[in-house]
Amino acid sequence: MPTIKSVVISCAGIGSRLGLGLTKALVKIQGRSLISWQLELFKDVEDVRIVIGFQANEIIEEVLKYRKDVTFIFNHRYFETKTGASFYLGARHAHDYVLEWDGDLLVHPDDAKKILNTEGEFICYSEKSSDDSVYVKVNEVGDVLEFSRECGDYEWTGPACFHKSHLQYSSMNVFNMLEPHLPMKGLKIRAYDIDTYNDYQRVSEIIKDWNYEG
Amino acid sequence: MKFLFDLDGTVTSMETLPLIAEHFNVQDEIMELTRQTVQGNVPFVESFIKRVGILGQLPVNEVNDLLSSVPLYPRLQEFISANKEQCVIVTGNLSCWCESLLKRIGCEYYCSEGQVENNQVVKINTILRKEQVVDTLKAAGETVVFVGDGNNDLEAMRHADIAIAAGMTHSPAKSLFAITDYLFFDETALCRQLNLLL
Repeated sequence: MPTIKSVVISCAGIGSRLGLGLTKALVKIQGRSLISWQLELFKDVEDVRIVIGFQANEIIEEVLKYRKDVTFIFNHRYFETKTGASFYLGARHAHDYVLEWDGDLLVHPDDAKKILNTEGEFICYSEKSSDDSVYVKVNEVGDVLEFSRECGDYEWTGPACFHKSHLQYSSMNVFNMLEPHLPMKGLKIRAYDIDTYNDYQRVSEIIKDWNYEG
Repeated sequence: MKFLFDLDGTVTSMETLPLIAEHFNVQDEIMELTRQTVQGNVPFVESFIKRVGILGQLPVNEVNDLLSSVPLYPRLQEFISANKEQCVIVTGNLSCWCESLLKRIGCEYYCSEGQVENNQVVKINTILRKEQVVDTLKAAGETVVFVGDGNNDLEAMRHADIAIAAGMTHSPAKSLFAITDYLFFDETALCRQLNLLL
């Protein structure tokens, strides 16, 4: 049995770059909200923690359609902070190992299983697919050596798994929280984040071939 | 670490006020008052005074007996029993009405106080300000967690180190969403979090 993990899904942001006037968790992909796709991946995870801010009421309503036993956590300062703050709030009172998962991320279901079964701390990355990304540089065995805005071997998409002892508040991004702990074990996955309308259209097509249940 | 709990609808799995109202057949008056309070037309303290005006005439021992058997959330009761020294019930209810229930729960408690004569409440002596309990414990160096569901828990939750809104019996007051750290709709999930905070 893998060590018990908490999963923190950060859904507090305003999704301004997407331009659909909705927080990303509520954006519909193939007729279903993004958060419902994610909840499907975590249906066997006991401690699912959803960090909310912008459009909190609507997200709560949507999540409760699928499951009631989630932990909702408020990031009241969602406008001034980035994903690092949401992750900190979601993880600070969680189990020892916490899986950080962006609310705008879709991961292939087979890879999601692999992630949930992987022990210890690790960072996930994917083949480059977005224009405006953060990249990772890796060594020959795939460990993450460095994050970079300019170039790298793969795209940093998350998720990442942390031990709570490494958790420190940051109003910046999650990768900024990880940087002091590099090098870290890396895991290559198929994942896409939805930042722009182009991403949204692309992911809507890709997901048609994914074998999600439910 | 101290865990403070509102009573009605947070630790009890049903609201006590409708139960009393039904038992003594004063539903109409109580429901109208509750409706006005929930809509925010009557502030909590005024509503409480009016409530005692209606219910104070009822036999205190019968109210106390009735409330003593109110169902509790079983896992929450288990958590409180296992961590008695760290748990406190903080309720605006009069102690004379809910003393048996509170003794059954078994941890420390704070209530409003009334003067009882001839088995009736003749006067309200104190109305509990929940945030004062939070402040006192914090001043004594405790980290305070407050679990509540109503608008009358708002200030206590704002003052607490960790605020938890519970929506198990009914949806929590929307006003709490502006200040709470956590929100739960499920008893198991709430108890998991309480254990992680220990």
